[in-house]
Amino acid sequence: MIEFATDEWAEAFMGVINESEAYAQAAKTWEGDFYFIVEAGENIPQPIYLYVDLWHGKCREAFATTDPSVKDPVFRMSGSLENWRRVIEKKLDPIQGLLTRRFKLKGDMVKVMRAVKAAQELVNCTTLVSTEFPE
Amino acid sequence: MNMKGYMGKLLVVDLSSEEVKEEPLDSQWARQFIGGSGLAARYLYDLLSQETEPLGPENPLLFMTGPLVGTRAPSCGRYVICARSPQTGIWGESNIGGFLGPELRFAGYDGIMIRGQAAKPVYLFIKDGQAELRSASHLWGQGSYKTQEAIKEELGDRQVRVACIGEAGENLVKYAAVMADAGRAAGRTGMGAVMGAKGLKAVACRGRGPIPLANRQAFTEMARAALLEVKDDITTQILRQTGTAGSADYFALLGLMPNRYFTQGSFPEAEKIGGGAMAETILVGVSGCFGCASQCGRRVEIAEGPYRLGETDGPEYETVASLGSLLLISDLEAVSYLGYLCNAYGLDTISTGVTIALVHYLYQEGIISEQETGGLKLRWGDPDPVIQLVKMIARRQGFGDLLAEGALAVAQHYGVGDWAAQVQGLEMPMHDPRASAGVALSYLTSPRGACHNKSDMYLVDVGRIMEEIGVAAMDRFQEEGKAEVVARHQNWRSVCDALITCTLMNVPIQGLVDMLNAAAGWDVDLEEMMTAGERIFNLKRALNIKLGWSPEGERLPPLFLQPLEEGGTGGYVPDVERLLLDYYRVRGWDRETGKPTAEHLRRLGLEDIARDLGESV
Repeated sequence: MIEFATDEWAEAFMGVINESEAYAQAAKTWEGDFYFIVEAGENIPQPIYLYVDLWHGKCREAFATTDPSVKDPVFRMSGSLENWRRVIEKKLDPIQGLLTRRFKLKGDMVKVMRAVKAAQELVNCTTLVSTEFPE
Repeated sequence: MNMKGYMGKLLVVDLSSEEVKEEPLDSQWARQFIGGSGLAARYLYDLLSQETEPLGPENPLLFMTGPLVGTRAPSCGRYVICARSPQTGIWGESNIGGFLGPELRFAGYDGIMIRGQAAKPVYLFIKDGQAELRSASHLWGQGSYKTQEAIKEELGDRQVRVACIGEAGENLVKYAAVMADAGRAAGRTGMGAVMGAKGLKAVACRGRGPIPLANRQAFTEMARAALLEVKDDITTQILRQTGTAGSADYFALLGLMPNRYFTQGSFPEAEKIGGGAMAETILVGVSGCFGCASQCGRRVEIAEGPYRLGETDGPEYETVASLGSLLLISDLEAVSYLGYLCNAYGLDTISTGVTIALVHYLYQEGIISEQETGGLKLRWGDPDPVIQLVKMIARRQGFGDLLAEGALAVAQHYGVGDWAAQVQGLEMPMHDPRASAGVALSYLTSPRGACHNKSDMYLVDVGRIMEEIGVAAMDRFQEEGKAEVVARHQNWRSVCDALITCTLMNVPIQGLVDMLNAAAGWDVDLEEMMTAGERIFNLKRALNIKLGWSPEGERLPPLFLQPLEEGGTGGYVPDVERLLLDYYRVRGWDRETGKPTAEHLRRLGLEDIARDLGESV
C-alpha cells in the first residue's frame, strides 16, 4: 500500500498511466499539465499539490509538493481528501464532482470537455495504484 | 394597483377587433402561481376547452414574464409563450431567453394576452405603456432574421426587441418556433404556428421604466451575492467557453446523445460536432441573454465552401444532436448551416431533426422511396438532402407538407405510428431515455410531452444534484426512489419557470427564494415555494385532462424499449410501468385516470380546479 498524495504515490501513478493502452488511446491528443490539489483539512495540515504532466497519452513527470510555486501548470483541480478518495474508489465521477462543486477546476474548459474519455481512463489508472489514505 | 415585484398589468390584444387594452394582473393568482408558465396556465385554464381549435382565433396566446424578469437577479431574463399546442393538442409552452421579456416589464407589463385573428398580417408594437397594431403585410414571407432587422429599421430604434415567426409559422408548420434576439428560439410545441394562424408576424417591444421592488437595497445585495456565486460556478465557465454543445462529448460517452434515429449506441465522430470542436474551428464570438454571466450563445462564421455563412448564431447542444448525430452527420459546418436555416425559417430544431431522421429510417427500411421524397435519396450522414427537406418543411412543399405535421403524423401516415420518437405527440429531445431512468420518467410525465426542460434529469442523473430540495445523487440507471427525485425536481423547475430563471445556470436556490421575497415583499420559505411548484405542476396536469389528455399517451415508443447493444447506455431499458406506478404514488394521482385526487388538489389550494374536474371536495 502506498500513501496517497506522496512522491511515491505519484511515481506509481505515472507508471500505471504509462502502461495503460486505454489511456494512451483516449488521451493521444492531450497536452497539458495539472496540479491535483488536496485541500487542507483533517489529516492534511497544508494543501498538497500533486503535479502530473500529461502529454499525448503518456505521463512525463509526476511528484507531490506543498510548495505551489514549483510549477505553473495549465490546469488546477482542487478538492478535499474525502472527495479525492471517492474519485479513486470510483464512487464519484470527476465530471460529476465538478458539476456538484465538490471540485474546483481552473484552466481551459474547452480542452477538458473534449477529454472526458481520457479523464475516465485516468481515473481507471488511479484505481490500479494500491492506495492507502490518511485516517 | 401596487403590486411589488410585478408591473401589475397584462396587455390584452384582440386581433379580430383590433382592440388593445390593459387588464390588472390577478394578484391572488400571482401569489399562488408566481408568474411565467405557472400564472399563464392559470389564466388559460379558464379560457381553454376541448373545443378550442389550436390554430383557430379562440386559442389565446400568452407571452408571460415572472417577478424576477428584468431585475438584477442573475440569469432571470427569460419569458414564456403559452397556448394550446397545435402539435400535441395539450398544454403548450415554450421558454425563451434574450431581452424581450425584460423590455416588456420595462414597458409596464407582466404579460401579453393575444386573442382573435387578424384580417391581414400585423405586428404588435409596445413602447412604454403604449401599444399598437401595425401592418406586417410587407414582412409576410420574410425570414426571422430579416423580419427582426426590418422592424427595427422601420421603428428607427435598434434597442427595440423583436420576437417573430418565419415562413414555417406562416405556413402553420406544427412545430414552428418563435424567434427573437437574432437566433434565440421558443422552439417547442408549435407556438410559432399559433402566431401564424393569428396573422401575427411579430411582437416588438421597448421599455424604459423601473421594476417596483419591495426592498430594493436588500434585493440588490442578494443579487450581487448570487451573481458572485454564479460566476464562480463551473457550469458558468463551461457554458461560457463551450456553449451548451460543450456537453456533447460527455453526453456521447454516457449514451445520452442519440445517434442514427436512436438506433445506434455510439457515434465516434460526435466529437467533431460538439462545443469543443466548435471552439477550435468556426467560433468567432459569444452572445448571451439579459443579466447572464455565462454567455452560452455561440457566434460562428464559415468563410467558404458549400455551407458558407456570414457571422451568425451557432448551434446549441440540441441542434448539434438533432441535426448532427441523429442523422450521423459529422460535418460541423453542415450542422451549423442547418441550424441557421431552421432559425431563419423559424423551425424547432429538435422536432425538425427527429422528423427528418424518422424519414431517413423509413427510407432505409424500404417503407418510403424516392417517389415519396420527391426524388431525394436519403443517406445517413449526407447533409444535402436534409437541407432540401428543411426548406420543403418550412414551405410545406411536396413531401415537406407531410413532414410539417411532425414525426407522429408521418409515422401514422405510413402505418407505423409506434416508430415515431415522441411522447404525447412531442418529439424526443436529444437525451436518450435508455441512458437515464430519470430522463425516461421526466419525458413520460412532462405536461407538454417529451420534454427535457420541465425536469432536466439528464443533468441531475449525471451529477447536478440539488441537496436543498431533496434532489440527491443516485445512479442514473437506478429506478427505486427515482420517482420521488423526479417529482421534487419537477416541482422546483415549475418554480424556475414561474420566476423565470434559466435552468442551465446554477443560480443559488435559497438566493432565488430570498430575492423573490425582497422583490414582492413576501415572506415565503423554500418549502412553500416547493408547494407552489407542486401546485403549478398539478394545475398543468388538470388542464391537460380538461383538454382531453389520457393515460394511453403516457408511454415510451417500442423503439425505446429495445436495448442498444453498445455505447454508454449499457443495455439499460427503463421499466416504464414500475417508474410510473411509483411516480403516481408519490404524486397522489389516480393511475387509472391520470387525475390528481381531490384531496391532493385541496391540499394545494386548488379546490376550484378539483370541482371543475368533477371531483367532490
